Amino acid sequence: MITKTAWKNVWRNKIRSLVVIASVTVGIFAGVFAVGVMNGAVDQRVDEVLDNEVSHIQITHPDFRSNNDLACNLENVSTLKERISGLEKVEAVCDRLFVVGMANTARKSVGVNIIGINPEEEKEIFGLYKELEPGTGDYFADPDREELSYIGFDLAKTLNIIRYQVNDEIIEELRSEELPEDILAGISEFTGERFDNERSFKKAMRSVLTAKQESEYGRLILEKAQTFRERAKFTLTFVNSNNHQTGGVFRVGGIYNIPNSMFESNQVFIQDRILRRLIEFPENTAHQIVIRLTDVDDTRTMTKKLRSDFPELEVLNWKQIQPDMAMMSDFAGVMYGFFMVIILAALAFGIVNTMLMVVLERTKELGMLTAIGMNKKKVFRMIMTESVFLSLTGGVAGMVVSWIIIKVTSARGINFGSMQEGLEAMGFSSYIYPDIGIDFFMIVTILIIITGILSSVYPALKALKLDPAEALRTE
Amino acid sequence: MKVLELFNVHKVYNTTHVEVHAVNDVCLEFEEGEFAAIVGPSGSGKTTLLNMIGGLDMPTEGRILVNSTDLSTLKSSAIIDFRMRNIGFVFQSYNLIPVLTAKENIEFIMNLQKWPRKKRDKRTMELLKAVGLEDRVDSRPAQLSGGQQQRVAVARALASKPRFVLADEPTANLDTKSTENLLDIMEKLNREENITFIFSTHDARVVKKARRVITLEDGKVVSDEIRE
Ligand SMILES: Nc1ncnc2c1ncn2[C@@H]1O[C@H](COP(=O)(O)OP(=O)(O)OP(=O)(O)O)[C@@H](O)[C@H]1O
Ligand SMILES: [Mg+2]
Repeated sequence: MITKTAWKNVWRNKIRSLVVIASVTVGIFAGVFAVGVMNGAVDQRVDEVLDNEVSHIQITHPDFRSNNDLACNLENVSTLKERISGLEKVEAVCDRLFVVGMANTARKSVGVNIIGINPEEEKEIFGLYKELEPGTGDYFADPDREELSYIGFDLAKTLNIIRYQVNDEIIEELRSEELPEDILAGISEFTGERFDNERSFKKAMRSVLTAKQESEYGRLILEKAQTFRERAKFTLTFVNSNNHQTGGVFRVGGIYNIPNSMFESNQVFIQDRILRRLIEFPENTAHQIVIRLTDVDDTRTMTKKLRSDFPELEVLNWKQIQPDMAMMSDFAGVMYGFFMVIILAALAFGIVNTMLMVVLERTKELGMLTAIGMNKKKVFRMIMTESVFLSLTGGVAGMVVSWIIIKVTSARGINFGSMQEGLEAMGFSSYIYPDIGIDFFMIVTILIIITGILSSVYPALKALKLDPAEALRTE
Repeated sequence: MKVLELFNVHKVYNTTHVEVHAVNDVCLEFEEGEFAAIVGPSGSGKTTLLNMIGGLDMPTEGRILVNSTDLSTLKSSAIIDFRMRNIGFVFQSYNLIPVLTAKENIEFIMNLQKWPRKKRDKRTMELLKAVGLEDRVDSRPAQLSGGQQQRVAVARALASKPRFVLADEPTANLDTKSTENLLDIMEKLNREENITFIFSTHDARVVKKARRVITLEDGKVVSDEIRE
């Protein structure tokens, strides 16, 4: 009865209640949706780390990570791998060689990390092969060709392997993307010209486009104008295990494109056979064994187990290798909760204000209720319930709206193109797929109820302080 | 049997400027089944007296025994509970809960007392019939006339079968016909269920119906006549 009356009381002053409910709806929607975007970005980044960059557990020589010395390598790798892959909960195992060196083209030269892989094994562990930029080759389909390499998009740009040029075909494509004719006319001025790098192409664009046009269409034009020198040659140079300068000529067998521009600009993959030969390592050696588990949730226990099985080696899991990532994923929940608490605290002021008005308006009625025998506890409960209904109605509406919008946007992703460079520098994709678990909605529901309860305390105490005889005399 | 005894009851309001002696040395006794009117000019202390009898207000001096219980010895939560079980209230301005129907308003108290549903429904229908509103069960206060609302209020006051009903100017907002109708209902309940009614009034027609008339002036009882 108290609950029913409280619910009906919510609708006594429809407009006022709707205003409060609407503010809660908007606040909760904004909060939940923002959390959905943040969470989607963090999840994507974690997936990216697990799938492309680190996988679950890595085993190295205890000094390899700190010294980065070629000589700190693992031996009897095939036996090690066999033992590990025989363990329960292990899905796949691969090994890699690492050398730090330089990548050079005729005009450019940059420091890179050269990773020797077995493409077939690598595919079992890492998903990087799926990130192949279309039309740049098919590295993983050609495992026999030792001179091929797999490099990142950013590195390809730095090495001038990606170039820019405009031709009639590209103009047509841009026309079908509904670019204004004056822009098309502008850029068609440099048809046939070839630009070695992004900077010179942008400069040329700037001479024919206004700043506004450039910010609006520049990225699209840039993407369309990219051309790729197939099987472009470059050399890799480095010092081998006998301290001799060595190296080789390689061809680009494929370019991968991932959100992490750091990774993209310095990780070069070549076949382990050729790298082993070049650094003069014997067979059955590697710098790193990478382990993928059937379930990432077993990472901790498996790390422990591997440590006790191989006490002489360094066993690290992805959280230890990327502590910033681990922190982000571990504390994300707390952060989101905190974020919602701040939003709800702001909304609470509106609810408190409304409930104070309610108590003031109903002074006489509250006096009557006490007179006919409604005790303080029940008066308190009635006001509290009304307040919870106010917050919960808005909250549920807000959550439903955000759930729908998250569902819609998570299917297509949201393009934060304008912030692409900043996001990618931190390893985040500019396409974010918002996502949030059902447990978060449960936590938010609880927080909303708590907000309703806390917001009612002061107004309800005011109601209890009323002297019934006085209250009944008010008009 | 005495349901109510007042011994030298005083009520003094201390306003900032003057002391108001709203009730001044009142001694009264009420037997079960009385139908009594408290009359007197505006400001004579009728409301104050009824509020003290109902435990909504405490006397500054003197004692009030309700069913032999001294209300001043009870804690405020116990007083509220005591009121719920022993005293029915009817107010001048009806004071129904506007969002609830006639039936729900009457049920409210029984609900607070956790009556089982069946018993509650039976009693509610009984009361609605007694006040002649059995066809307005689901009407909200705003859909009822003043007289009908006041009859709902009387039904509500009787819901928990109190020993007596206090009514502060119950007919002040009603027209002649509604007044008569309400008084007939109150009289009938008084006769048939032996419920004690104590009501204040200005209205000579209401006074006529009372079997006992207590007159207040400046907080003092100036006459107390019983007529049959
Ligand atoms: N809370 C209060 N503070 C100060 N004085 C009060 C208070 N309540 C009542 N009084 C005074 O006490 C006196 C008695 O008031 P009360 O309301 O009991 O009179 P009443 O007989 O019910 O009058 P009416 O017929 O107008 O309802 C009045 O002089 C009133 O001004
Ligand atoms: Mg009065």
